[in-house]
Amino acid sequence: MIRLQNVTKVYEGGVVAVKDVALEIAKGEFVFLVGPSGSGKSTLIRLMMREERPSSGEIWVAGKHASDLANWKIPHLRRSIGTVFQDFKLLPTKTVYENVAFSLEVTGRPRSVIRSQVPQVLKLVGLSANADRYPRQLSGGEQQRVSIARAFVNRPLILLADEPTGNLDPATSVGIMRILDRINRTGTTVVMATHDHAIVDAMRRRVVQLERGRVVRDQHGGVYERRLRTASEITEELAPTLPPDDAGAPGGYAGGEVSDREGSA
Amino acid sequence: MSLQYVILEAFNNIRRNALVVLGAILAVFISLLLMFGTLIFGEIARVNTLQWSEDVRVIVFLRNEFRDVDALQAEVKSWPEVADVFYLSKAGAYDEALELLRNNAAALRVIEEQPTILPASLRVRPVDLNDYDTIVQRLQGSPGVERIITAGPQVDALARLRDGLRVVFWVLSVALGVAAVALIANTIHMAIYARREEIEIMRLVGASNWFVRIPFLLEGMIEGLLGGVIAIAVAVGVYRLSLDRLAELPSFIDIQIGNEFLVRWGVLTLVFGVLVGAIGSSLSLAVHRYLRT
Repeated sequence: MIRLQNVTKVYEGGVVAVKDVALEIAKGEFVFLVGPSGSGKSTLIRLMMREERPSSGEIWVAGKHASDLANWKIPHLRRSIGTVFQDFKLLPTKTVYENVAFSLEVTGRPRSVIRSQVPQVLKLVGLSANADRYPRQLSGGEQQRVSIARAFVNRPLILLADEPTGNLDPATSVGIMRILDRINRTGTTVVMATHDHAIVDAMRRRVVQLERGRVVRDQHGGVYERRLRTASEITEELAPTLPPDDAGAPGGYAGGEVSDREGSA
Repeated sequence: MSLQYVILEAFNNIRRNALVVLGAILAVFISLLLMFGTLIFGEIARVNTLQWSEDVRVIVFLRNEFRDVDALQAEVKSWPEVADVFYLSKAGAYDEALELLRNNAAALRVIEEQPTILPASLRVRPVDLNDYDTIVQRLQGSPGVERIITAGPQVDALARLRDGLRVVFWVLSVALGVAAVALIANTIHMAIYARREEIEIMRLVGASNWFVRIPFLLEGMIEGLLGGVIAIAVAVGVYRLSLDRLAELPSFIDIQIGNEFLVRWGVLTLVFGVLVGAIGSSLSLAVHRYLRT
């Protein structure tokens, strides 16, 4: 579903944000990107959604060669990716319903689709009762759920979340994680960048740890932090635990598997 | 829903920055008013100077049955006040009328139905361009003369005025047109800035580039169109008013120009306005960082 090969991103001015990252994420996986600020989590997310191009290396996302995608094709890639951010990015002049519908409207979906999909996804995130409210009338957690609903309403193959709980208290964060988990169970691949130890430790999903732009740990069923070791130690330790293959995505998602797991990192 | 959406958005933007938009429309309006005004004035000048080119001051229309043209022409030519005389046959008059009335379909039809309705004429150039009264007096009694019309130096003045104004007006019109493009680009710039959050989200969820851009493009075009509409309304209004007020103009000046002319060049002026708007908004869209990938 997502594959990065030797990806390096150097920003203007010489800041190396991501260095030689190889990463393979299968369809239906739930992956945490962890690491301190500036370790390259957000840059990885931005590379996957083709907000940035890598300085070198190749990226495939949802069957598209994202690192080599012409600008005018970006909208097509974005339609198979949902994105959620720390700051929600809701439109203050639109209601909850309209914010979610907006995503379908501007991609040219017919009104009938909008009328059936929006209530459905609002129910999924537990906001059916708040459809006619405006973002400022909602709590942070509710706003984030609107933004998740908007990201998910067109049933993307992949959901990219950059610190979605960054502005929320722990209790609210748990609610958000439940929704992301529910979305993941429909077969949607979820990649979430986070600092939140408690969440990562509780979920026990695949954890990709970044340090200064490099992947220093890639562990299934992992927790946030472990004793720091050298890269070779990590590789050695992880070798036997690296997934043979994920046993098919849970849930009945009908989308075809586009990327496969051959040629692992 | 898409068309409705983009049109609604365009008008919303216009309302949001009413004052700035007004400035841009004003620039388009003045530029196009100069352009359209110059075209109208040029047409009036053309219609009124065509028969009087080569310093003709006296036109003598001849009776249909008159046969002694050569003799009359020779006689007139021999007068000391006359520099030159030439003869325009019925066929020549017909050709001239076709040219004169090319923007007046109704009159043209009448002439085309009866090509011989127009009389032949002698065209007289006096030695002293301001003194043709004696020529007229002498001709008045001649046999075969149906009617005599004369044109004073006003005709030359008109032609000179046209030539002078043409250059000045076109330069001004183009300069203001450039200013209008810049002002429209500015209004679009502000509209894009006001909607940057919306644009960001549209791009996130995969709205196509054109879907994001078309409302802005349309807004610029609407601004240009509005400027053009006002320019035409004012130009035609002023023209109509002058038709009434200037009834006492020297008889040889006819400021009637065909409706076809007004319609044809009016449409072109509108197209020009829309074009100015499209260029302005395209410029803004091309450089804007919220739309760049």
